[in-house]
Amino acid sequence: MLVLLDKQDRYGYELVQKISDQIEISEGSVYPLLRRLTKEEYFTTYLQESSEGPPRKYYKLTDKGREYLHELLTEWNEFSNGVNQLIEEGVCK
Amino acid sequence: MQMNKEQFLKQLEAFLKRLSLEERQDILQDYKEYYAMGIEKGKSEQEISASLGHPKQIAKELLASYHLDMVEQTTSSGNILRAVWAVIGLGFFNILIVLGPFCALAGVVISGWLASVAFILSPLGVLINLFLGQFRMSDMFFSLGLCGIGIFIAMGMLVATKSLTKGFIRYLKFNITFVKGGVKHE
Repeated sequence: MLVLLDKQDRYGYELVQKISDQIEISEGSVYPLLRRLTKEEYFTTYLQESSEGPPRKYYKLTDKGREYLHELLTEWNEFSNGVNQLIEEGVCK
Repeated sequence: MQMNKEQFLKQLEAFLKRLSLEERQDILQDYKEYYAMGIEKGKSEQEISASLGHPKQIAKELLASYHLDMVEQTTSSGNILRAVWAVIGLGFFNILIVLGPFCALAGVVISGWLASVAFILSPLGVLINLFLGQFRMSDMFFSLGLCGIGIFIAMGMLVATKSLTKGFIRYLKFNITFVKGGVKHE
């Protein structure tokens, strides 16, 4: 979720669709996560009028959120490198 | 039988009675927006309800988050238990990764406190011996020593309990900020 907001702000519906395209999760569960991350001050929200329909709630990554994202990415890379290495060693034997 | 928008929102609202009016309205607003967007994209209300999942599950996730915030405001054992219970209720996976560590930590904390209380009260045992006519001076010194050690353990446990609780709450919060679900196979 943090990755999706790194480059641009997005509104709720868009975020939910992006996530549920990739991951097996009921779409309703994305909003509780968004709220949680907003409470933890990783996101801020603002309303913006759209050309059609009601105003949309946009989510924006905060500096704290960006920092957290980079922490997680580093950890993830280390972890997946480790696993890849193990797999390679195992397969090449 | 799929719900329409109104039924879905009504159910969700009923499950969220514990939250403040403001917060509940805010949550419902998010889902209203979601319905509006979906309808714009040509989906029916029933389809959207189906993709959202059951209001009860959504409410569980929101309430777990609420209980964790409550613990942060007032750390009472009741609040901690409610928060742990709410996070465990989220699914089978959480039973494993929450209940296990919780029982282990609770075991350590409780046994630590029991030990310190037993040590502190040990001079009482010597007093009882006094009444029974089996008093020995060496027992008296030994139990006073234990009592002192017990007080030290209690002070240590106070600090340990506080920091363990804090750490565990952090762990729970970390836990609920992750999307849990399998990768979709294309």
